Amino acid sequence: MISDEQQDQAALYVLGLLAPHEAAAFESELSANAELRDIARELREAAGAVALMTPLQTPPASLKQRIMHEIAMKTEERTVIPLRRAPPGWVPWAIAAALAVFCGLLALDHLRLQRQLADIRAVDPLMQTTFYALAPSAPAPADAKATVAWQPGSQSGVIRISNLPAPEPGKDYQLWAVDAEHKDPISAGIVRVDKNGVAQIRFKPVEKAEHVKAFAISLEREGGVPKKEGPILLVGSA
Amino acid sequence: MADVTATAQEMADRAMIARVGAGDQSAFGALYDRLSGPLYSLALKMLGDASDAQDALQEVFVQIWSRARTYDPEKSSVFSWAVLLTRSRAIDRLRARGRRLRVVVESKPDEARVAEATNASMVESAADTAEKSDEAARVRYVLNNLPSEQRQAIDLAFFGHLTHHEIASQLGEPLGTVKARIRRGLLKLREQLRT
Repeated sequence: MISDEQQDQAALYVLGLLAPHEAAAFESELSANAELRDIARELREAAGAVALMTPLQTPPASLKQRIMHEIAMKTEERTVIPLRRAPPGWVPWAIAAALAVFCGLLALDHLRLQRQLADIRAVDPLMQTTFYALAPSAPAPADAKATVAWQPGSQSGVIRISNLPAPEPGKDYQLWAVDAEHKDPISAGIVRVDKNGVAQIRFKPVEKAEHVKAFAISLEREGGVPKKEGPILLVGSA
Repeated sequence: MADVTATAQEMADRAMIARVGAGDQSAFGALYDRLSGPLYSLALKMLGDASDAQDALQEVFVQIWSRARTYDPEKSSVFSWAVLLTRSRAIDRLRARGRRLRVVVESKPDEARVAEATNASMVESAADTAEKSDEAARVRYVLNNLPSEQRQAIDLAFFGHLTHHEIASQLGEPLGTVKARIRRGLLKLREQLRT
């Protein structure tokens, strides 16, 4: 039997109105009480329905594109994350401690190597180049691909595209640099493929892009747009 | 229990969220189409600024994408889960702004409320499907028919994000009374929507 007081707490809990310590105590009570969980669910459903009392407004269509683009970027990141995972938790503490010591030594060595690398990069343009592999996302053909060689120092790069059919009349492909310091992708110009779906183009973004996380190609109106509007066809990080 | 009582829409939502959890971007797009209207409307009402509401909605959908696998149908429907996520993000933004949303709850006569609900339904009908409009109109009807003190307490708690202490202080009522009004109002709303 659930008391009125418990129901009161449940109502405040689903609305996020309990203080942290009260919420923690209530969660502990919830975990042990199936009937209370049912009440909390009912109250949550009622709270969800309250949102429907606001007059319906439609968000702009560009918001969906913005979100789908961010999701596509996150999917790219997801494929990279496993390579960076920390060692599994079953590694014995003793080995972890030993590794920590080695890591410290490696960190020092890494710093030294970074300094040397910076010196080399300063004199060798090839060493300043970062490569980005762009993979297709719907509606691009599954075998479409592109590679970007990007030189942050000169703020220029070269893109090579293959297996990307020419866009329909009235449309163009547009290249974008996704930079950590800019809210929106930075246009790097129109890219036109030949009849075989191939292109090799030198480009320069319209704004300075010092922290490029990824490059992407979208389908836009002919002549290009200042801010991305169309669907992303190819996207990839370094 | 939740499975037994789930509506067809809830079942469809669960299927969509399961696909989203598996990384299906087209299912995510479909879920966006279904939820974005009500969630955007909520964010807009709470934040009072279209650009802020759009940013909040973007955060919510990115959160849905990354948390879809942790969605628990035993706790809530997909719709309610998404609504409460949106409300939470809007509250975070309000806190970041360093101010709380001031919600003026007037004790309007019932006729005025019905007129307001009718106007809101017209806005919605122009923008959305008849099915969604019916659902929203039903919720408004039920809410408008709650005792005014219960509706007022729910308004302040849900949209104003006032704590129960602040609501009690604003209404000049004992804390226990305010808690009971929120609870009774929500339970009555749920009960009425089930019938």
